[in-house]
Amino acid sequence: MRYPKRTGRLSVPGRKARLATAAMLAATTLAACGGQDGSAPKAPATIPELTKDPLTLSFIWFDWPPAHALEAFANAEYAKLRPNVTIKVKTVPNANWHDAMFTQFAAHKTDFDIPILDSQHIGEAVTNGNILDITDFVKKNIDVKAYNPYLLAAYGQFPQAETGKRDENASLYGLPLLGDTWTMIYRKDLIGDKPPQTWDEMISVAEKCQADNPGVSGLAFHQANGSDAAAVTYNTVNGVYGGNLWDPKTRKIDGVLNDAAGQEAMDVLVNKMKPLTAKGSGNWFIDEVNAAVAQGKACIAFNWIAASGGLLDPKQSTLGTTREQILDKLGFATLPAQKTNLVPLGGMGMHVSAYSPEANQAEALNFMKWFEQGDIQKKWAAAGGVPSRTDALESPEFLDAAPFNQVYTDSVPRMRDMWNVPEYARLVDIENTNVNAALNGAKAPKAALDDIAKQQQAVLNAGSGKGGGGL
Amino acid sequence: MSDSAPLTTDHPGQVASATPPAPGRSSRLSDRGLAVAFTSPALLLLLAMSVFPLLWALYLSFTDYSATRGGTAQFLWFENYTAILTSPQVHQRALTTLIYVAGAVTLQTVLGFTIAYLISRRTHGRGLLTTLFLVPMMLSPVVVGLFWRFMLDAQFGVINSMLGSLGLGQVEWLTRQRTALISLILVDTWQWTPFIMLIALAGLTAVPKYLYEAAAIDRASQWFQFRTITLPLVWPLLLIAVLFRAIEAFRLFDLVYILTSGGPGVSTETLSFHVYKVAFLGFNTGTASAYGILMVLVVIVLTQLYLRYLNKLKED
Repeated sequence: MRYPKRTGRLSVPGRKARLATAAMLAATTLAACGGQDGSAPKAPATIPELTKDPLTLSFIWFDWPPAHALEAFANAEYAKLRPNVTIKVKTVPNANWHDAMFTQFAAHKTDFDIPILDSQHIGEAVTNGNILDITDFVKKNIDVKAYNPYLLAAYGQFPQAETGKRDENASLYGLPLLGDTWTMIYRKDLIGDKPPQTWDEMISVAEKCQADNPGVSGLAFHQANGSDAAAVTYNTVNGVYGGNLWDPKTRKIDGVLNDAAGQEAMDVLVNKMKPLTAKGSGNWFIDEVNAAVAQGKACIAFNWIAASGGLLDPKQSTLGTTREQILDKLGFATLPAQKTNLVPLGGMGMHVSAYSPEANQAEALNFMKWFEQGDIQKKWAAAGGVPSRTDALESPEFLDAAPFNQVYTDSVPRMRDMWNVPEYARLVDIENTNVNAALNGAKAPKAALDDIAKQQQAVLNAGSGKGGGGL
Repeated sequence: MSDSAPLTTDHPGQVASATPPAPGRSSRLSDRGLAVAFTSPALLLLLAMSVFPLLWALYLSFTDYSATRGGTAQFLWFENYTAILTSPQVHQRALTTLIYVAGAVTLQTVLGFTIAYLISRRTHGRGLLTTLFLVPMMLSPVVVGLFWRFMLDAQFGVINSMLGSLGLGQVEWLTRQRTALISLILVDTWQWTPFIMLIALAGLTAVPKYLYEAAAIDRASQWFQFRTITLPLVWPLLLIAVLFRAIEAFRLFDLVYILTSGGPGVSTETLSFHVYKVAFLGFNTGTASAYGILMVLVVIVLTQLYLRYLNKLKED
């Protein structure tokens, strides 16, 4: 027989091969599990010497008009200063944005140099050591007095600043890229030129408009359970009715979020606002709300300012054949107040990936310094961006660029953010799914709010140091 | 006329012997060595891409490791497994998955077999019909999810528009608890019924014609022929198709992600979707690994039970 059956001990090469395989598995396991210290590395205070070789500076963002505007603007303007640099803004669907960045962070290798993080992602990125600490760089290169302190804090500070303030002793990990907040979009031809001033008034105006105009719903707002859609909606109403998301000092959510003010906000949202929305709008987010406004199907809508540009495009609207005709029918206003005048803080900051090559990190710092200059911020505003420097926010370049820009400038002192703790992704998912369940009749409003408070508290109590739990 | 050249030599063996003998095979490249050399790339790939991740996931499932938070992984032994098996959230997702699997696979089996039976009885255009029915199966689930999302939109979707033209009211296909799960089942059925149909058609085509001829001579009714000839012969093949579909449906992720994101609330969150959230929203890698291992175990156990039943069927 040519190949006799093997019996007994393995041949020496066979044993060696098995030992080598086992060693390889063990080594790979150790390599995969180890090697993280969890603290954010520091960026130098002075920008290192920049390369003269061709270099591509990569951003990562989600796919929406400001991402494309940034790439076009940066390639046109930054290239004047650094002709060897090409700017590439990589985009992913909104729902994949967090995962696209943090799975690469987890691999300790990123194909981007500047992650554009939501303000609430900062805690997770900082505690994992994924982005550079740019405190010293900011001190030396950025005129911090040119900003509303809370804007500077919201897009860069960790631990999180108190609402409306900035802790000058806290570390900074990012700089503002795009400011944003909600605007109220209303049909001037249906409800009049003067926007409602209080939340209660807004609801009654929407109710009357819906009754008077069959086929047009009173309200349109974000209700989806993806991204932070439904969560931002509830948090906005919560703020307006005097509620709080948590007590940051004691890290208490249960008993704070679902207190009387929180319950009232949930009641207003589910029982007064939801009945004024279109049937089947329970999964609406930015695009769907814009579509409803553009098709003349909503009396009053709420959307992010940075995503509202398309509403003025006659090709996408049935409200008019020119921008002027559309503006005869659409008005933009700051959110109505009720017990408070808080509005949600949106927008994103620029950060530097800790895993980028040194030449790219240096270029990223140089880009940030360039971008935060007064004249560049005004140019960014003229190109369709929402700047953060006060001088740019008050400049004609910004205020005349779009009818909703004044809304942003007026809203800056009224902003409130969510939590930017490392557990943010789980907190927002809990809130999204439960608010979405309440809005779509899958859960009673009170039960949904109590569940949010209980589940979020459990997440905070479990802490972020371990990878067990998480159900 | 010149002499023709001899066609053969007197000593043909000499010609052959002029060529040097083939070199002997190197002692270092034995048949076994050659076999190892050819198979090792595939084996190494399998080891790196399948075996190692599985073993690593198994190891991580006993720890509190987090892919992003780093630090040393602490051994929790069976804590993650206990947490998953006793979690009401997991029980809820398991029930959703069970309803989904049972609903989708039953519907697909009934429809798939019916279509295959009808096609098998046709003599003309069978190939064209089969090809047309297979089109949905060839599409990416993400593409299918996206266009069904548009079609099922309560305000702008073509389905509600058609219902409206028939005088029926609007249906909130994707935003109500019951209709959202039904929508998922219907979309999955639209895409995967052709798979069952294809397997059933292969089984139906393989049934010997003489059995039907003999039955016809005995004046057996169509129903009697179907019940005693067609179904028993096609049944084992159909069961294999059902097994494949059940496994696929059990790990459904893409359609949920695109169509409902698990909503409203978490009412259409399947086990796979929940694992994704545990793994990538909280980066609870240890728990997610244990969750994944448990899902693999469930599939293995169910498959074994199923295969035993199939073997028993064959023996009978």
